[in-house]
Amino acid sequence: MSLSIVGDVQVGFPAVRTGYGQQTYGNTSPLVERYTWLTVGDDGRATLFAGKVEYGQNIRTGLAVEVADELRVPLAEVDVVLGDTDRVPWDMGTFGSQSTARVGWQLRKAAATAREALIAMAADVLDLPASDLEARAGRVVSKSDASRGVDYAELVRGDAVEREIAERPPVTPPSEWTVMGQTHRRRLDGIDRVTGRSKYSQDIQLDEMLFATVVRPPAYGARARSVSATAAEALPGVVSVVQEDGLIAVLAEDDEAAALGARVVQVDWDVPQGQPSRWDMPTLLVESGAEPHPMHEEGDLDAGFRQADHVLESTYYLPYIAPAPMEPRAAVAAWEGDRLTVWAGTQRPFGLRQELASLFGLDESAVHVIAPEIGGGFGAKSPYALAHDAARLARVVGRPVRIAFTRAEETMWSNFRPAALIQIKSGFTSDGRLVAWQSDAYHSGERVMIGRRGAETPYDAGNVRSLVYRSDSPLPSGSYRSLGAAVNHFAREVHMDEIAEAVGKDPVELRLHNLSEPRFRRVLEQAAEEFGWNGPHPSEGRGAGIALGIDVGSYVATAVEVSVKEREVRVHRVGAALDCGQVVNPEGARNQMEGSIVMGIGGALFEASDFQDGRLLNATFARYRVPRITDAPRIDVRFVGDEDTPSTGAGEPGIVPIAASISNAVFAATGQRHRELPIQRHL
Amino acid sequence: MLTVNVNGEERDAPRGDRNLLSFLRFDLGLTGAKYGCGEGLCGACTVLVDGQPLRSCMTTVGAVAGGDVTTIEGLAAGATFEDLHPVQQAFVDEQAMQCGYCIPGFIMGTVGLLNREAAPSSGQVREALAEHMCRCGTYQRIERAVERAAGLMRGDAGAAGGAS
Repeated sequence: MSLSIVGDVQVGFPAVRTGYGQQTYGNTSPLVERYTWLTVGDDGRATLFAGKVEYGQNIRTGLAVEVADELRVPLAEVDVVLGDTDRVPWDMGTFGSQSTARVGWQLRKAAATAREALIAMAADVLDLPASDLEARAGRVVSKSDASRGVDYAELVRGDAVEREIAERPPVTPPSEWTVMGQTHRRRLDGIDRVTGRSKYSQDIQLDEMLFATVVRPPAYGARARSVSATAAEALPGVVSVVQEDGLIAVLAEDDEAAALGARVVQVDWDVPQGQPSRWDMPTLLVESGAEPHPMHEEGDLDAGFRQADHVLESTYYLPYIAPAPMEPRAAVAAWEGDRLTVWAGTQRPFGLRQELASLFGLDESAVHVIAPEIGGGFGAKSPYALAHDAARLARVVGRPVRIAFTRAEETMWSNFRPAALIQIKSGFTSDGRLVAWQSDAYHSGERVMIGRRGAETPYDAGNVRSLVYRSDSPLPSGSYRSLGAAVNHFAREVHMDEIAEAVGKDPVELRLHNLSEPRFRRVLEQAAEEFGWNGPHPSEGRGAGIALGIDVGSYVATAVEVSVKEREVRVHRVGAALDCGQVVNPEGARNQMEGSIVMGIGGALFEASDFQDGRLLNATFARYRVPRITDAPRIDVRFVGDEDTPSTGAGEPGIVPIAASISNAVFAATGQRHRELPIQRHL
Repeated sequence: MLTVNVNGEERDAPRGDRNLLSFLRFDLGLTGAKYGCGEGLCGACTVLVDGQPLRSCMTTVGAVAGGDVTTIEGLAAGATFEDLHPVQQAFVDEQAMQCGYCIPGFIMGTVGLLNREAAPSSGQVREALAEHMCRCGTYQRIERAVERAAGLMRGDAGAAGGAS
């Protein structure tokens, strides 16, 4: 049999029915109060269950590391079940860098509870006091007589035992960690990744499955006036053309027939005229700005400006950018009577389950959502309407249906990082001490949480007003790594560089001059040291730039060195420091920091989604440049958090300061100040 | 009936103009090669034909009939780490992956490169892999993995150790 550790699921982000997930997605509550988090089987192996999904952040290994250490078993003895709504604890979704911080902590407590339970069971079996026993390498052994011990496998062989996660179980302090905090290069899924065995939603195939291609409009907001499917229906391999409530789809026995069929469906589209184009955005953002929300207010702004020797006003603009995960969304849906199973690479399997149940008037327990491996998402794969379409079509045709986006569809029908315009007015003394800080940030899109993230200033200006406005969005705006934090930080950290320039101070010194929070000071100093900061002019023809920030509770700073040749900026190296508290899986955190920085280079230098009259102009990789190996700098990351500070996120912070670091370095190299991204469009 | 050799086996193809990537993934169930862009720009669909990398999304079955196609599934001898191809071992040991979707393509591109050039310079590595995309940004690790793999394949003792 087995030992099961059960507990409630009130460990979501940040709490069930409140906060980001609820406001953004209207997430549901768990169906039941208690779920199994961890089992120890009679083969001695541990299995952990988590509602998180694996989309590159290496959470499979990260969570297993925590369980292995607390349970005193080798990492290879831990199995991980993720993202399957029939098997794992309810979870609001994988976003906001909460997996290690919250679910990891819950699993540590579960594993520590299991360890204590096994010791208690062993005390009975061995007839020794529990105080004489300790857990070690999958066994409970006597501290006084090493010859006496019993394997976990043997202990759980009897009746099934269930234990509630203890309120305060004896979790292992960092000084005693043997698995956590260690370097684990080989991921649990490493071999699956390199052999092609990892299955993504694009890879799911069922017997009798039909391939569907949805006929998508050429522009946002377009509606079909009339549809002629005669030619498509006549194609070999095409099974049917479904038209239902605005959904037009060609279903075929193979993928190419479905795609060809969709191309020959004749649709007369009604495209709404007068939609804004990309050049309208700066004006549109400000003119449509509504609901100014105070993110940071202190002191007396007018009094602050009166004390200032200098006042500096600047405007910053960031266009929409595309998340562009390597795997375009795909979904497979299969009905068995009134039970629905859907495979979808979503960050919110439980949210999708609720949506599907509601769409078909089913109880949530009749819907099973499985999130297999996900080929990147970066926040964008929380919405997954494609799965709704697959389920609708499967119901109509009575066979399993697969829909997979093309690259262009993924770009156009996903969601973009919102465009934003940010106005900053600062007042400071001649020696660079801030006395007033006024910021007005206009972010596109209805989801106001996005633009508000990271809009507070970490600097001791004393007199502060930071407002965030909700502005109209011609393109679908949505979550993107760090939400608006990377956007808000770009404006603020470039502005700090402008102040340093105005008063003739070194950018590091200027920031330290205005920072009292020790964690900010430390992360800045450590990034400067990692980089070897020696001012903004490291050598002939090169520029150096630095910036700092905070996201998901983690403090971060990056310093970069660039050179500029004609219209190409080259980022040569990056020195970074991250304070995310305890680092339980350093290699995973390091990989995330590196990737986050590379992703940020794209947005800083060349990414921008262009659109005109409701049409997206650069939906494919031929027209949308993302960083390649030739764009990648050398990156050195230093972890500077205290080991007794609880873990905070590591997947998002790296992107927060990088664009400003680059802009500041380009200024140092060329004397040109870049307040608008992407920089290479304006060189 | 048109046949094509895939991973050492003769396989029947429905027709010559069948897209090679679709044939591999849906007709043969070899889903290791991925669809990323459909226009040969991201490298996720890379397979080897006669030892050299080819973008299968831009190719038909007919175009490779008579050649030997190798997919990521045909690279390793077995399921354990020790059975992996040195390039696969190196990607695991450098943790040159995040979501992993692009990695089969990068590995096939790397095998092709090392077939041509046993000791590539950093510039050659970057040039050969510049037509692959990793949106997770693991490029620094991929470069290290290629270097490690080249060492393993040349039999350098130093390249084998190090990772845990």
